[in-house]
Amino acid sequence: MSHSRHTVRPPAASKSSGGRLGYFTRKALGNLRNNRLVTLITICTITLALLIISLFMLIYVNMEGTIDQWSRKVAVTVYFDTEPLPQELAALKNRINGLPGTESVQYISRDEAYKIFRSRLKGQESLLEGVSADILPSSFEITLQKEFRSTDSVNLYVSRLKQVQGVGEVQYGEEWVKKFLTFFQFIRIIGLLIAGFLILAVLFIVSNTIKLTVLARHDELEILALVGATPFFIKAPFLIEGMVQGAVGAVVAVSILTAGYYSMLANAVNFLSFNPSAAGLTFLPLSHIAALIFGGVLLGFIGSLVSLKKLIAV
Amino acid sequence: MIELHNVTVQYQKDSPALSSISLNIPKGDFVFLTGPSGAGKSTLLKLVYGAVEPVRGHIVVDGQNLTRLPRKQIPYLRRNIGVVFQDFKLLNARSVFDNVALTLEVLGWESKDIGKKVFHILKRLGIEHKKDVAPLRLSGGEQQRVALARALVNDPKILLADEPTGNLDDSNKDQILNIFREANIRGTTVLIASHDRRVLNSVHGRVVHLVKGLLQETDDVT
Repeated sequence: MSHSRHTVRPPAASKSSGGRLGYFTRKALGNLRNNRLVTLITICTITLALLIISLFMLIYVNMEGTIDQWSRKVAVTVYFDTEPLPQELAALKNRINGLPGTESVQYISRDEAYKIFRSRLKGQESLLEGVSADILPSSFEITLQKEFRSTDSVNLYVSRLKQVQGVGEVQYGEEWVKKFLTFFQFIRIIGLLIAGFLILAVLFIVSNTIKLTVLARHDELEILALVGATPFFIKAPFLIEGMVQGAVGAVVAVSILTAGYYSMLANAVNFLSFNPSAAGLTFLPLSHIAALIFGGVLLGFIGSLVSLKKLIAV
Repeated sequence: MIELHNVTVQYQKDSPALSSISLNIPKGDFVFLTGPSGAGKSTLLKLVYGAVEPVRGHIVVDGQNLTRLPRKQIPYLRRNIGVVFQDFKLLNARSVFDNVALTLEVLGWESKDIGKKVFHILKRLGIEHKKDVAPLRLSGGEQQRVALARALVNDPKILLADEPTGNLDDSNKDQILNIFREANIRGTTVLIASHDRRVLNSVHGRVVHLVKGLLQETDDVT
């Protein structure tokens, strides 16, 4: 006899998957209510784990901002032997602006260069006695787009710049740029490594916490398997529970971080004697917050999936 | 309904739990599986509901060769088999009703149909007034009736029981055995593992003796 003839066909076998999803969700929410203490412990664990990650993200985002600010100083300077005519200047500026990687081009005239030089020699202006602005060349200060600030890109940019008609001597702090960029590349790699370890540790902790909740309901899993529940039927409510716990944990973590950040901003001036907004501190952008909440849901889902994999043997 | 052909089960090397067992249980039979502890009674039951795989031989349950059945089909096989244990295996955090309803929820029944069907089986087993009570607040006999209700609620073709009266007093044993007998009359094939003489003497059925994983004899008890 064929298999299908033996299986008891339920009256609602043709029920839509939406109905099934509703059933699993009701089961999951009921289970969360019935196991309040375990649910609370899991949510607290996820909250703490995500708080650590979000704090790290906040530091990383601000560090990236600082690196970006500093890397703007990776500038390329074009010097002119003779002061160019205004129309020549405009044409040359256009040509340089047309080069891929150019962010901005600023003209520094001889007078301006002299002023800058003077300001750098503050207190020792007497050294400039008898010296006029004529000894300093006028120049273009070029800043590069973010993605063109690596050593190789700067070299490539400079070689292209030198081919532009009207460009004479080009200077850029080769060694300085190299050291600066290598240093920040190193910091970025360390940051990403720490983030990687953090995520692994968090996954391990969360999946073990969820494993405890699954173990606590081992009898239920056994009975469900005994009465003919498919692995999917057994797992689905647990996965939904994990996702709900993950989402709640993430929202709580983001709320704590937001409250902590803004209360720090409000109080920093008083007891740290520095002004955070002047220091360029920023909070996590919306995309990062969305990623954190999605990460929480994913964490709960994966944590449940990993725990169930070993525990459900039909 | 249940056929075992030269079935050997081995948990540990050199000491098989069952050795070359061949057994045929036709549809509608009432069979007792007896033997001392460790004889392999529970293993034989587990073979029938697909919780244990043999190292040799093959098993046919309800026309399906389990040794060739993919693992993912096992849940569907179990929907035609009710199983009852000595320790009842009830969910104590849920009511009697919810424990029994579980079987029908797994099958995807609508809740209003589940309500009717569960109430009907609880009434048949005489515990409908306990439907909202948690299992731990029931006597051993009542708990076993809940377990039986869960096993019988979808009218299975086969009913397996592992020492179902092990924790019960004599009067409860009789009541529980009556439920098995009634299920058998309705057409369910019943296989009970028990070493309780009283159980064997009280019901008409075939007796299969197992000793150290070997099938010793089968005879009819009248």
